Amino acid sequence: MAEVTLNNITKEFDGGVVAVKDLSLSITDGEFLVLLGPSGCGKTTTLRMIAGLDTQTRGDIFIGERRVNELRAGDRDIAFVFQFYALYPHLTVWDNISFPLRAQNLPQNEVAKRVNEVATRLRISHLLKKRPGRLPGGEQQRVALGRAMVRQPQVFLMDEPLTNLDASLRADMRTELKHLQQELATTMVYVTHDQIEAMSMSHRIAVLNLGVLQQVDTPLNIYRYPQTLFVATFIGSPPMNIIECSLQGDKLNGVNGHFDYTLTPESGFDTSESNSGYFGIRAEDIMLSAGDSEGDLRGEISIREPLGDETIYRVDIGAYQMTVKTSPKFVLSAGDRVSLTFNRKRIHLFDKITEQSLRTQEAVARV
Amino acid sequence: MQRASKITFWVSLLLVFFFFMFPLYWILISSFKTRADIVSTTPSYFPFVEFEPTLDNYLDVFVTRDQTSGDGSTVTASADVSQFRDRLINSIIITGASTALAVFVGTLTAYAVSRFTIPLEDDFMFFVLSTKMLPPIVVLIPVFVLFNNLGLRDSYHGLILLYTAFNLPFVVWIMKGFFDEIPREYEDAAMLDGYSRLQAIYKIVLPEAIPAMAATAVFSIIVSWNEFVLANFLNRDSAATVPPYLNSIIGVGAVEWGRLAAASVIYVLPVIIFTFLVRNHLLRGVTFGAVRR
Amino acid sequence: MSSADLSPPTATSNSQTKPIRPTFSWLTDGRLSFLFVTPTLLILLFIAIYPLLWSLSASFTDRTLSQSGDITYIGTDNYQELLTEDRPWERFVVTGQIVGFSVLFELIIGFGIAMLLNRKFAGRSIMMTMMLIPMMLSPVVVALFWRFMMQGDGVFNYYVNDVLGFDSILWLSDRRIIPWAVILVDVWMWTPFMMLISLAGLSAVPKYLYEAAEVDRAGAWFRFRHITLPIVSPLLMIGIIFRTMDAYKMIDIIFVLVGDRGGSGRAAQTAGLYVYDIAFKNFDTGLGSAYGYIMLVVIIALANLLIRQLNSMKGQP
Repeated sequence: MAEVTLNNITKEFDGGVVAVKDLSLSITDGEFLVLLGPSGCGKTTTLRMIAGLDTQTRGDIFIGERRVNELRAGDRDIAFVFQFYALYPHLTVWDNISFPLRAQNLPQNEVAKRVNEVATRLRISHLLKKRPGRLPGGEQQRVALGRAMVRQPQVFLMDEPLTNLDASLRADMRTELKHLQQELATTMVYVTHDQIEAMSMSHRIAVLNLGVLQQVDTPLNIYRYPQTLFVATFIGSPPMNIIECSLQGDKLNGVNGHFDYTLTPESGFDTSESNSGYFGIRAEDIMLSAGDSEGDLRGEISIREPLGDETIYRVDIGAYQMTVKTSPKFVLSAGDRVSLTFNRKRIHLFDKITEQSLRTQEAVARV
Repeated sequence: MQRASKITFWVSLLLVFFFFMFPLYWILISSFKTRADIVSTTPSYFPFVEFEPTLDNYLDVFVTRDQTSGDGSTVTASADVSQFRDRLINSIIITGASTALAVFVGTLTAYAVSRFTIPLEDDFMFFVLSTKMLPPIVVLIPVFVLFNNLGLRDSYHGLILLYTAFNLPFVVWIMKGFFDEIPREYEDAAMLDGYSRLQAIYKIVLPEAIPAMAATAVFSIIVSWNEFVLANFLNRDSAATVPPYLNSIIGVGAVEWGRLAAASVIYVLPVIIFTFLVRNHLLRGVTFGAVRR
Repeated sequence: MSSADLSPPTATSNSQTKPIRPTFSWLTDGRLSFLFVTPTLLILLFIAIYPLLWSLSASFTDRTLSQSGDITYIGTDNYQELLTEDRPWERFVVTGQIVGFSVLFELIIGFGIAMLLNRKFAGRSIMMTMMLIPMMLSPVVVALFWRFMMQGDGVFNYYVNDVLGFDSILWLSDRRIIPWAVILVDVWMWTPFMMLISLAGLSAVPKYLYEAAEVDRAGAWFRFRHITLPIVSPLLMIGIIFRTMDAYKMIDIIFVLVGDRGGSGRAAQTAGLYVYDIAFKNFDTGLGSAYGYIMLVVIIALANLLIRQLNSMKGQP
């Protein structure tokens, strides 16, 4: 068990591609940290650099107290679970799991003890004599996990381990992995592009885009207080409503018209440096009322999507379309005129050029 | 630690490279040496420094000239010197046709064995392989008799047919392995879209298979291009190929090393060029389906 | 999550405006399989089966090369003669020695080179193509030049004698060394083939398996034994099968290197060369055919064994 610290890590590939730009991150001992982002964002590259499978162009990596830059993967006391499991096809499950221990010349009885322990915990004891090539995905996954666990490493590194499983299995494995990590209390760094995995399993999420770290925080904070436009739109389903607008003091005007909004002092935004930006609000933070009653905006229902436990409405407002979530009891039809009211405490504002949140620090602290 | 393994890597690589390239270099420089230089007891390696290079050997290959032997007396070059060009053309025709035929027919057969259910499939594949096991000596006389009776001696058709038969087993085995690795779904999708099987093969499978076909073509070309025993026996008087000619340079008495070297260099050049052009496809094609991904 | 979408369905953008008319749809799979397989079958039957049957019948006669005169049916006399004398058997021993060691060295060296070439380095592609040149040359030419280098007063002995000061080695005259000279030339020519096959196999091993082994701190030998070898061995086996069959038939190299009797004391007179001796020097076609047949039976049996081994490598990983 150990902390992992990344200081100013940069990775450039031949041909000038910069996969990771100046990344600094501190992962505490026993934490479950998820590296989240779309493909190409640098999350897998970062994971591989922590493992030692790729070398950073600049920067330092520390595992525990040790600087591991010069150490090979095998010497860093980490375990890696690959996306395609990387199980040795010609060895039995038993041999696969005991492989790392035998490579280190552990005594026979110690090897047997650890393998059996791990197999029991992962419920694969009945598979020990089989060849992994014949097993279904979920079981192969667990064998790969077992091979990682049996080494009792300081850090677990996982590269999209659940991506190749089907949906129901994925849901089960999410819970299992979370429990496992809590039991073992080992630091875990986990890469995924799936935000549900990230939100449900992690202590903290590190969001990356195009090699740049966007934000590191607890799932809830990331959801409530996204620091960049990217984080705001990447996290959350359906995606946050975004309206481009001009800023004059506390007045917002939609660039395509039809949108006027005045910020209240409590909302906690500092617009002094910016004169254009993005306004954001999540679908569940908008209240709909029928007719032309008082509200922040007026519009017309375009589509209704009844999901059973909630209903999603697409509302046309001039040139925009906004998405609103309501309770299923609220029923409207296409063409109905509605007015929208925003929850003042839940609006977001981002500078147009920097795409950073304009929320002041005090506003965030006031949780 | 890294340093030491890097040194061993480069040392082993260069040693091996030297072992295989040295005789090639020897042949190459011999083609530019006079006879005296070649047979002299001290070997020489560097042109202009240790010996005077000459283009005479290359000329001798294509043109009949009077030659001067070492002691100053004139020796007329042997009569079949001017045949090289004709034989070269024959080799090109025969090798080209037999390779094209073998690759085309063999690929179709391989596709059929891979995709369709052929009765006695394993036995068929073994039969195909077994034709490669026949020692040419055993084949020689019956084929000679047969070709004689059918008028296939001294013809293009005879050797083309023969070489096609020689190369088919390899083509079939390589291409079958290759097709085994391509999922059937590609053709199934095309056929669902309304294409016939033949169209699906033509539009989808064959373009995919071109790299592997290029690889098999390289091997077929090498076999046909250099085949000596049967070409020597069957095509003596017309449609003769180059390898028997190379052998004839050995002649009685002194071997004309320079001319032999020059002829060999010229003869191997087309094969090298072809292989170089398709080198990126070689690895991909040669798996025989033995490796599961 | 199933969502009832009330928006009108959008037309798929890539629908064809014209329906595709399948041409040649009357060529069903069954007909195509016939069409595709028959040419190969016919060609091979013609070139392989016919000579086989001809040789078989000839082996039971006293047929000679000249073909004139009567051909007498002599039953199994030819076979009896061959199977009871020493010389025919000795030929197989020589063949075994030459073929066995040639293929063995080609395998080891070829695989070794492939492992070296499997990394990325500048000039790798060029080097690989150049390494293939030995097998592109005419065997006659190759053998001639090696003979030139290995003959009594050749380049090899120049270095042994004049530079190193030892007595000249009789590479091509000493009957103990002759088979090794032949093996040397064959290895030089055909190792590139094994190298190519090995490279194809090596490049097919998924990289992440090696990475997993690195993370697991497995040593180089461990990685080789449990990852590389199991995946590459079917391909190596195929290379062995093809090389064995080719080396078994090879006579031109020996011919040119040491003469048509296999050199002094018939040191390199393999089975194939012996057939040549019988059929073309002694003009006994019947006897030659019989021996050729025995050769065939031996190689079929061997190939069978090798293929069975191959299938067990491929089938059950």
